Amino acid sequence: MKTNRTISILFFLLMVMMPLNLYLIFKVAPTERIMGDVQRIFYLHVSLASGAFLAFTCTFVSSILFLWKKNLVWDSAASAAAETGLLFATLVLVTGSLWARPIWNVWWTWDPRLLTVLILWFIYVGYFLLRGGIADRFKKAQYSAVIGIIGYIDIPVIRYATKWWKSIHPLLSREGGGLNPVMKNVMFFSLATFLVLTVFLFLFRFRLARIEERLQKLKKLTED
Amino acid sequence: MKFMGSAIAILRKDILLELRGKESLSLMLFLSLLLLVIFNFALDTGKENVSSLAPGILWVVFTFSGILGMGRTSMAERDEDAYLSIVFSPASAESFYIGKVLSNLLFLVIMEMFTLLFFAILYDFEKIIGMLPQLLPGLLLGTLGFSLVGTLFSFLTTASRYGEVLLPFLYLPVVVPIILGGVSSMDIILNGKAGGAGKWIQIMAVFDVLYFAVSLLLFRYIIEE
Repeated sequence: MKTNRTISILFFLLMVMMPLNLYLIFKVAPTERIMGDVQRIFYLHVSLASGAFLAFTCTFVSSILFLWKKNLVWDSAASAAAETGLLFATLVLVTGSLWARPIWNVWWTWDPRLLTVLILWFIYVGYFLLRGGIADRFKKAQYSAVIGIIGYIDIPVIRYATKWWKSIHPLLSREGGGLNPVMKNVMFFSLATFLVLTVFLFLFRFRLARIEERLQKLKKLTED
Repeated sequence: MKFMGSAIAILRKDILLELRGKESLSLMLFLSLLLLVIFNFALDTGKENVSSLAPGILWVVFTFSGILGMGRTSMAERDEDAYLSIVFSPASAESFYIGKVLSNLLFLVIMEMFTLLFFAILYDFEKIIGMLPQLLPGLLLGTLGFSLVGTLFSFLTTASRYGEVLLPFLYLPVVVPIILGGVSSMDIILNGKAGGAGKWIQIMAVFDVLYFAVSLLLFRYIIEE
């Protein structure tokens, strides 16, 4: 199977990239002047956010393809991507909160970006609640595809609305600014590592979903 | 023409059903009244606060009563698969959707008007009735957004094992822009806050257009058997 080979290759790639990434983040990247070591969480935070965004985009595209082609493969892809995205989005919120406590002096603030991720998180939790509530395989796929599409197109609207809402209040602070070249390179490597991880997790869950699908089919055959 | 004809027929059916059964609108109105009473305990609604609290209280009431009402009307369609008779009729899925959006919109607007009246009476805030013409654009656009998303999602959730209980979990995150727009525009108009309600009206209009287009495309997949 082609997927199996790809998964193994990605796995070995990650075995090298992950430790190297951690080494770069903790040993090579310079300590930020104002924030100190806490700033290192950014390398993970930003990479996780990019991974989540990639995964949700994949859910969106697969959902459209499912409604178009009516092939359950696309539903397996959409749900596998949504799982990966939800996991990453959760970690984005957690790492962001850990960073915010020492820097902004709060665990949480109603910043538009934070709010957008949180609402996104709720939408995809809803996606899985709905999936859990529908027994019919095809209906489950069809209905969750609708959520996969609607939820995704909501992102820009939420982003604008929360931005305007907050523009009344002052923003707490803006992170980032000028990264030094070493930091930039570490960030790029971390991004690459997490994109590989995203694809790996996605394929892993996707394969599992396909195997489950086959098992259900076999079960049905033996019952008949 | 035929398209709108079917939609209007569905709207008429729902009005008739409501007049005979009084199932969803009366429940919505009672919930609104009840929530307004609860808010009175939960918040300090003295004379000096009521104006600044009004947008928040009202839109929370609109949101929750709306969820209840729209869940109810979808449940009525799912009961004994009543909606299938519409699916098998010559009416298209799109006109079915528009008909349901219109009937939900009508019931929501009626509920909101009563809620505003209850609010004016219970919180001694007659000013809000006088300002209704200025508030109306925001109210209508927001309610249309509620109805567009609610009609689609209530049909989704009532097919699940959890029924209408699942509706708020899917519906609330998606309508966040509408709630933000509704509360903010009402706050600006009622309390003369800076910023102008125009941009909030705009974002609600964009939301409505976007969801109208997408829902129209997607609704057929929900009722398809």
